[in-house]
Amino acid sequence: MTRQGIEDVRAGGPDDAVCGVVPTHVARPRDTETLGRLLAGAAERGWSVAVRGGGTAQDWGGRPRTVDLLVDTGALTWIDHDAGDLVVEVGAGTPVAELTATLAKAGQRLSVDPVRAGGTVGGLLATGVCGPRRLRTGTLRNLVIGMTVVRADGVVARSGGRVVKNVAGYDLAKLHTGGYGTLGVIASAAFRLHPLPPALRVLDAPLPSREAATRALAALRRSTVVPAAVELDRAPGGRSHLHVVLEGTSAGVEARADETVRVLGAALAVEGRGTPGDGGTAMARGEGHGGTEDATSSDRAPENGVRVTDRLPDGWGLLPTEGTLIRLSVPPARSAAAAARAAELGDAVGTDLRTTGSARAGALVVAVPPGASAEVIGLLLEGLRSVPEWSATVLRAEPHVHEAGVDLWGEVPGLAVMRAIKDALDPGHRLAPGRFVTDRPDDLREEP
Amino acid sequence: MTETAHPIPAAVAALVPRLRRICGGDGVLTDASRRRVYESDGLTRHRAVPGVVVLPTTAEQVTAVVRLCAETGVPFVPRGAGTGLSAGALPHPEGVLLSTSRMRRIIEVDPDNECAVVEPGVANLDVSRAAAPYGLYYAPDPSSQQVCSVGGNVAENSGGAHCLKYGFTVDHVRGLDVVTPQGALLRLGGKAPDAPGHDLIGAFVGSEGTLGIATRITVGLTRLPERTVTLLSAFTSMDAGGRAVSAIIAAGVLPSAIEMMDALAIEAAEAAVACDYPAGAACVLIVELDGPAVEVEAELAEVVRLCASAGAFETRTAADADERARIWKGRKSAFAAVGRISPAYIVQDGVVPRTALPEVLRRITELSAESGIRVANVFHAGDGNLHPLVLFDDAEPGAAERAEEVSGAILDLCVEHGGSITGEHGVGVDKACKMPRMYSPDDLETFDLFRRALDPRGIANPDKLLPTPRLCGEVPGVRRGAHPLVESGEAEQF
Amino acid sequence: MTDPSEPTTARSFEDLLGDCVHCGFCLPTCPTHVLWGQEMDSPRGRIHLMAQTHDDVLTEAAVGHFDNCLGCLACVTACPSGVAYDALIEHTRIRVEEEHDRPLPERALRGAIFALFPHRRRLRLLRGPLRAYQASGASSLVRRSGLLERVSPALATMERVAPPLSARPPALPERVPAVGRVRARVGMPLGCVQDAFFPEVNTATARVLAMEGCDVVIPRDQGCCGSLSGHAGRGAEAAGFAKALIACFERADVERIVVNSAGCGSGMRHTDRVLAEAGEDESWVRRGRAFAAKVVDLSEFLVELGPVAERHPIPLHAVYHDACHLSHGQGVTRQPRALLAAIPELRVSDLPDAEICCGSAGVYNLLKPEPARELGDRKAADAASTGADLLVSGNPGCSLQIASALDRAGTPMAVTHTARLLDASLRGLPVERLLRP
Repeated sequence: MTRQGIEDVRAGGPDDAVCGVVPTHVARPRDTETLGRLLAGAAERGWSVAVRGGGTAQDWGGRPRTVDLLVDTGALTWIDHDAGDLVVEVGAGTPVAELTATLAKAGQRLSVDPVRAGGTVGGLLATGVCGPRRLRTGTLRNLVIGMTVVRADGVVARSGGRVVKNVAGYDLAKLHTGGYGTLGVIASAAFRLHPLPPALRVLDAPLPSREAATRALAALRRSTVVPAAVELDRAPGGRSHLHVVLEGTSAGVEARADETVRVLGAALAVEGRGTPGDGGTAMARGEGHGGTEDATSSDRAPENGVRVTDRLPDGWGLLPTEGTLIRLSVPPARSAAAAARAAELGDAVGTDLRTTGSARAGALVVAVPPGASAEVIGLLLEGLRSVPEWSATVLRAEPHVHEAGVDLWGEVPGLAVMRAIKDALDPGHRLAPGRFVTDRPDDLREEP
Repeated sequence: MTETAHPIPAAVAALVPRLRRICGGDGVLTDASRRRVYESDGLTRHRAVPGVVVLPTTAEQVTAVVRLCAETGVPFVPRGAGTGLSAGALPHPEGVLLSTSRMRRIIEVDPDNECAVVEPGVANLDVSRAAAPYGLYYAPDPSSQQVCSVGGNVAENSGGAHCLKYGFTVDHVRGLDVVTPQGALLRLGGKAPDAPGHDLIGAFVGSEGTLGIATRITVGLTRLPERTVTLLSAFTSMDAGGRAVSAIIAAGVLPSAIEMMDALAIEAAEAAVACDYPAGAACVLIVELDGPAVEVEAELAEVVRLCASAGAFETRTAADADERARIWKGRKSAFAAVGRISPAYIVQDGVVPRTALPEVLRRITELSAESGIRVANVFHAGDGNLHPLVLFDDAEPGAAERAEEVSGAILDLCVEHGGSITGEHGVGVDKACKMPRMYSPDDLETFDLFRRALDPRGIANPDKLLPTPRLCGEVPGVRRGAHPLVESGEAEQF
Repeated sequence: MTDPSEPTTARSFEDLLGDCVHCGFCLPTCPTHVLWGQEMDSPRGRIHLMAQTHDDVLTEAAVGHFDNCLGCLACVTACPSGVAYDALIEHTRIRVEEEHDRPLPERALRGAIFALFPHRRRLRLLRGPLRAYQASGASSLVRRSGLLERVSPALATMERVAPPLSARPPALPERVPAVGRVRARVGMPLGCVQDAFFPEVNTATARVLAMEGCDVVIPRDQGCCGSLSGHAGRGAEAAGFAKALIACFERADVERIVVNSAGCGSGMRHTDRVLAEAGEDESWVRRGRAFAAKVVDLSEFLVELGPVAERHPIPLHAVYHDACHLSHGQGVTRQPRALLAAIPELRVSDLPDAEICCGSAGVYNLLKPEPARELGDRKAADAASTGADLLVSGNPGCSLQIASALDRAGTPMAVTHTARLLDASLRGLPVERLLRP
C-alpha cells in the first residue's frame, strides 16, 4: 500500500473548519501530480475529502457530514498566459486578484465579477457564482475552455483544451463549475480572455417604484446600447437603484451613456415628473468633461435623476460576508417583480432583505442579515419557490440554519441524472459528502 | 430485391409494431429504399442503412421510442437535418434512427425574456426569422444555418463565423427538455438562468446525441446590433494576412467575425459565384464588426489602419446588406465551390492557437508540396479554426488515400500545436479514433465513465465520440463491457 | 473532373447525380419536405433514390416519391453545388413512364389529363359545360354535396380552380402591329391553359407588346409547347408537340418568342434537352436549341426592351407571387418586380416564404390534390397576411391555384397576371377593372 502524497499531512484545527466541520487532516499538495497521489491515498483509506482555496467560501454550500482530509490548494499557484491567443491557464490555488493583475498588465481580463474578495480561481469555479457583468461575455461557465481535475480515485483527467474553439469530447468543466468539488478536485483551468475595455461608464438610476423598474428594464432591453451589466440593487427599506455598466472605446461609451440616460430618463419620467422622453434628453456634457475617460473624477450632474460616473462603485459585485445568501433565478422580465416579492416576504417575517444582481439576466441574490432564524429562512425560501419558473437555492447559511435541516436546494430538475454522474465519478461519495445537492440527505424526490 | 439486400434485423423487426403504435403508420419507415435514403448525414463517406427510421412528432413519442429501446437494448441514433460533417448521425444497422425532422414548431418567441422556445427540428435561421419582428436574433450561425436544426446544433455545440464574439450554441441555450437514454424526460433550465445543481445543460450541449435527445429547447435571443460593417482586405501573402489578424486581436478589437481565404479558395469561389475579390490576392481577410454605431466606427478605423500596416493592398468596406452579402458570397460558397476546381475533396476541421496560425499554414503548404495534393484554406482566423480543403481526383488510383493522409497529418499538426481535432464539426464516427491523439487514456476513461452514468447500456448513438475497439481496434483506456454499476445491479434500467 | 456549368445535355445522368454532395441546403425550400419532413420527399432524398434505382428496378416506393415532386425547382435555386435537379427529375420521370406500371385508375386519370390539357380547343370546349354548370347555380349545391370529392378528388380540384367565366374576348388576329416605330418582331405562344381559362391575359400581352413597339405574330396553327407533358415524363409526347411548335415559329420568322406562361417558358427554354431525351436526331436538337435561344419571358423581354409607352397610376397594393417556373425555372425574379415598380402609385410587396411552391405545379394539383391543397392553403394564408388588394403572378396555373385557395379560406383577393396590370397602366384603365374577379 502506497503512502505517497500523504506524507505532508498535518492535523486540522478550528480555522480549517468547513461549514463548522473540523477536518481531521489537512494537506497542501505542491502540484497536480502530488494532488493525484494524495487523493489516491485518501481513496485507499476511504477518507472523505473537501477542498479549500482562499477559504472565503468554506461556509458556502451544504454542511459536509465528515471531512477526513482538507485539501488546501494554496500551493497550486501558477499562471500560464498566452496573451496573443487571449487564453490563460492557471493553477486552482491562484488568487483571483493575482490573476487579474497579471492579465491587466497585458491589457486583458477574465470577464467575470467575483462575488467574494480574496478568493482563488478554484474557489471561483467550484462555487460558480459571478456578479452582474455577464451580459456580453456570459458567466464563468462560458469562459472556461479546459480543466484538469483529480478524480476521487486520484486519477488526473483533463477535458477541453487551451483553444477557444473546441468540440472534442465532453465538456466536463461545465459539471465541475458550480459543483463544490463533489465530482473531483479542480487542479487547473484554462479560460478565454477578453481585452480590457479602454473606457467605462456607470449609470446610477434611482427607481421610484417597481413599475418604474420594470419600465426602465424594458426600455433598456429595446435599446441597442449593449450594456455589460444591468444591476438591480434593492436595499433594505425599499430604496432601489439600477446600475448600468457600459464598456467600450472612450468616444463610444460617452455617446452610449448619453443614449442610456435618454432611454432611462424617458422610462422613468412617465410617472412623477414631467414629459416622458421629451426632446433634449441627451444630457449636456458637464463642463470640463471633455471625453478624457481617465479623468479621476467626472461625476455628472444627475439628469432625470440618473448619475453617470466612470468608476464602478466600491465593492462592485461583492456579496455580504455575513448572513444567509439566497440565489434567486427568475425569467429576466420578472427581475423587478422578484426583488419586490422578496422584500414583501421579508416584511412579512420582519426581516430587512437586500436583493442585488443582474436584472437583465434574471440572476439575483437575496441577502438576509445575520441572525435570521431557520424558520424565517424556510418561509422566505418557500415563498420564493412557490412561483413557477423561479428557483431559490441557499448559497450560504449560518450554522443554526444547517442544524435545522432547512432544504437549501429546493426542487432540482435532473437530480437523478446528477446522482448517476456522482455515482460514476465518486462511487464512494467521499468528495465533500453533504456539501452539494447530489447527496442531500433528506431528499427523496426523484424524476418521474 | 433491395428489400433482401437490406433486411430489417430481427431485434429491430420485433419493435416495429410497437413503434407504429407510438409514431403512427406514416411515422415508421421500414421499406429498404426509404431506409437507405437515411444512410448518411452530410458526411457521405460513412454509410450504414438504419434498421428502422422513426419520425416522431412529439416529445411523448420520442420518450416512448427511447423507452422501448432502453427496454430491449436496441440502439438509437438521433438525427436532425442530416447536415453534420462528422457522421454523428450515421445510422446503426441494428438500431432505430430517430429523426426530429417533423418536430418543427416554434413554440414561443418571448421578447420580454429575450428567448425563444423551439422544437429540435426547427431550422437555425427560422429562429432568427421569427425573432426579427422584435429586433432580436439567434446568434449562433453555422454556415448551414438555413437548413441545420437547432436540435442538431445542440448536439454538436455548433458555432459559426460569428461565434468569435457571440460564442457557441452552449452559450445561448437556457433550457432543454431531454429524453435520457433510459427514457426519462427531464426539463432542465428554462427562461430563468443558472439552473440549480450541476450544469447538465452545459454538459449535454455538444454531447453528440450520446446522452439523449433534446425535445424542446429554450434559446436566448440577442438584440440586433445598431450597426454592422463588413470589411474585405486583400494581401499578397498568407503571412501578411496572418499578421493583420494578430494585430487586430492584439489591439483589443473584438470583431464579430474574422475569416480568411487563400489563393486556391479564392480561385474556387471566383469560379463558382464570381465574387469579384481583388485581383492578385493571395489571401483575403473578411472582418465583420457590429455593435453600437459609435463603437463600430472607431473599431473600423482601427482595423483598416491595422490591415494597411500589415500590407493590405486593397480594402473595401460594406455597410449595407447588399454590399455585405457580396463580400460574404465568396466565403460562404467556398466549400461547395471547391467542387468546381476539383472532382473530390475532404473538408477538414481543426483548431490551433491563433498565434500558431502562420507556422501551421506554412507546414500545410509543405505537406501539400510533399504529397502533390492541393490544399485550399478557408478558415475562421479569429479563433484559429482551420478548414483545409484537401483536393484530389477520386478517379486517380491512390489519390483518396494520399488525401486522407494529408488530412490526418493536418490534424496531427493541430494537436502538436496545442489545438484541437475539431472546432465545430464534432467527433462523430469520423474522428472517434483520433481522440487518443488529443486525450490521454485517463481522460478518455473519465469521458466514458460520464457517458455510462447516463447510458449504462450504451444504446445512445453508440460508436460515436469515443474510440471503441470495434471502430478503432484496441484502444487503451476505454472501458469495455458493461459498466460496473450495471453489473452490480445498482444502475436502473427500464 | 466535372463542370456543372457545362450544358446538361452533354453530361450523363450518372455524372449529374454525382454533383450532389448531400449538404441538404435544398431541404427547407422543398414544398414536400416542408409538408412531410421526411428525407425521401426532399430533393436530396430523391437524388439518393435516383442513384439507388439507377442500376436497379424502380421500386413502388421510389416512384411514389418521384411522383410527389412538384417539379418547382426551388432546390435548383438553393443548391450551392449547381446540381441540375431539373434534368435529373425530367429524365427520371421519363423512365418512370416507360418502365413503371401504374394502377389502372391512375393511368386513366393521367390519360384523361393529357388528352385534355395540351389541347386548347378541347380545353375551350370544356368551358361551355363549366359555364352552364356555374350559371345554373348547381355549382354550390354540388360542392356542398361532396359528390365530386367522392367520385374523384382530381375532378373536384378542376371544378374548384376553374375561374368564374366571363364573356370570352374576341380571338386575337394573326398579327398585331406595333404602335409607332417597330422595335422588334416577336412571336407569341398562346398557351393551352392560358388561352382556355385566361384569354384576357393573352389579349393584354399582345396589346402591351404592341404598345411598346412590337409587331406581334400569333400563328393560328400553333399547338401545345409540350412542357406539361415533358414535366410529367411523357417524353415522346412532349417532343412531338415541341417539333410542331418549332416548325410553326420557324415559319413565323420572329426575333424572339415571348412567353407569358412561366410553365411553358421554362420548358421551352430546354427544348433541345427534351428532344435529345426523346432520342430525336441531331438536326432536331439543333433546331430545338435555336428555338430555345429565342424564348424569353414577357417580363424579361419588356425590361430588356425598355419602356416607351406612358405608365398611368394604379393606386393599389399588390403582392407579387414568384411562379416557380419563372423564378427557379428561369431565374426571372428581378424583372417582373422592376416592371411593377415602374407603375406609378402601385405599392408592391413580397410574400413571406416566397420560394415555396403554391402547389399548382402544372397538373400536380390534379394528380396530387391533397398536398397541392395544403400548399395552396399556406400560400393563401401568406397572401392574406400581406393585406394586399391583389396578387400578381406570371403563370396561369398559380393564378388558378391561389385564387381558389383564397376563396376556400374565406379571404378572397383579386388575382391577376403581370401583363394585365401593365395593360391597365398603359391604357389608364380604372383600377376596378383589375379588382373584378
